[in-house]
Amino acid sequence: MTNTLHRQGKAENLKNDYVVFMTTAAGINREGSAPEIQEFMRICHKYHPINMGNVKLGNIYKDGVDVQEFIANLGEGAGSMAVFTDLDTVQKVVEELIQADLGISINISGLLDEVRECCRKAGITRHSAEHSLGFWGARERLPERETLEINTLCGHGMISFNLIRKMVEYVKLRRLTPKKAARILAKCCECGVFNPERAEKLLEKIKKGEVTPSGKSVEA
Amino acid sequence: MEIDKEKCVGCGNCHAVCTMGTISLDEDGKSIVNQDQCVECSVCYRFLKDERYWPWMVRAIRRLLSVFRLGYLADVDVCPTGALTPPVLEWPRSLRAMFSDPTTIHPGTGLYGRGTEEIKSNDVTGRLRKGEAGLVVEMGRPGIGAFLWDIEKVAMALARLNADFETKNPVTQLMTDTGTGKIKDEVLKEKVLSAIIEIKVKLERIPEFLQALAKVQNEVDTVISVGVASRCLPDGSIPHEEWVRKAGYTLSLNGKTNLGLGRPLFKETEA
Repeated sequence: MTNTLHRQGKAENLKNDYVVFMTTAAGINREGSAPEIQEFMRICHKYHPINMGNVKLGNIYKDGVDVQEFIANLGEGAGSMAVFTDLDTVQKVVEELIQADLGISINISGLLDEVRECCRKAGITRHSAEHSLGFWGARERLPERETLEINTLCGHGMISFNLIRKMVEYVKLRRLTPKKAARILAKCCECGVFNPERAEKLLEKIKKGEVTPSGKSVEA
Repeated sequence: MEIDKEKCVGCGNCHAVCTMGTISLDEDGKSIVNQDQCVECSVCYRFLKDERYWPWMVRAIRRLLSVFRLGYLADVDVCPTGALTPPVLEWPRSLRAMFSDPTTIHPGTGLYGRGTEEIKSNDVTGRLRKGEAGLVVEMGRPGIGAFLWDIEKVAMALARLNADFETKNPVTQLMTDTGTGKIKDEVLKEKVLSAIIEIKVKLERIPEFLQALAKVQNEVDTVISVGVASRCLPDGSIPHEEWVRKAGYTLSLNGKTNLGLGRPLFKETEA
């Protein structure tokens, strides 16, 4: 699964977007891994992630979710994720995860050099790494930049281009605040890797006219 | 997905939510799904909360409002009458949900959704080893979707270079012959939100495979998200970077890092 690999944005946006997630492998460390997965999520939750989720149970923005109950219900198998908006917090999470020695695979999606430095400070060397080589093929079918930036915050592609455009329109018409619109979008992303804060900031810029309808930043 | 016309009040909320944009208003003023294009992701069903209103009541209110030239604007995240109805899917259509709905466990991998573990568990599986790279070719992403006939074109182009397709990958499992990349005829007309072709190559062959991909990309009517991964060297550097640059491509600033905290750690000497 490459669900967090192709998040779009410039370095200044990506600096506020880190996804910490765990994976188990069948026949190696998946069986009986529920306590470790729950502990992983408890550690992440302690540092106030902007989003959390699990493919099986959904994300914390769904109606009526109690986070403690959510964590207690995590079973073995499905990957769990938490999204953070700054590297200092990610550093603390990584250090605590190393201390906890859960034995499950831990990954971070984000700026690769920053994550490498984070590993160095924590006294570990990264094991494997993956880059995106961008979008190929019929690129003329892709939408404007800001729509793509929000769409790729959900790696499973659960947030349609049309819903993003609708939210943009509602924000411009002040039917919804950028915060409320971002939270509505977050509900679509089943596993919880969507970063509502990034989406909110982008919608705020659109509302203020700092991003033109052509999708190009006024500053650019 | 299907829409119960007895219940639908034509509010149009599901139109924008549909990942493929396949829902529209029919001649009768009620919503309809283009079944050829629907990928059975079920986002509309999960996202739109069923308000359980009586359809006759909503229709009556709308008619009344229209007399005063007022409109009916439902909240964006509701289906007022619960008209969306997930059908029981039979093969080969069921394949659409396997690839498009992340809440569905794929029978071929035992994992939720279309993906595989790739580097995420590489610290314990040793899937990618020293001197190897993983090429991850995701067809249909972002947001366009892909028919299996297009996925087959790319798989066959890569197979011509003797690609080592990942056996635990759901697309590989649809192939009749991994030597040719041919996919079963019975599924070629199916459309999915996205599907990942995953191969393992020697680092020095990265340029060759990217060149093949660059050529075949013009033959498909969808987008392709391309990724490349490898096991880091003892100093933490990434060996595939050099080969991607040699091939003339730009690497993303962001990406995925496996921290190596899984246990038991895979040791290559044991392999």
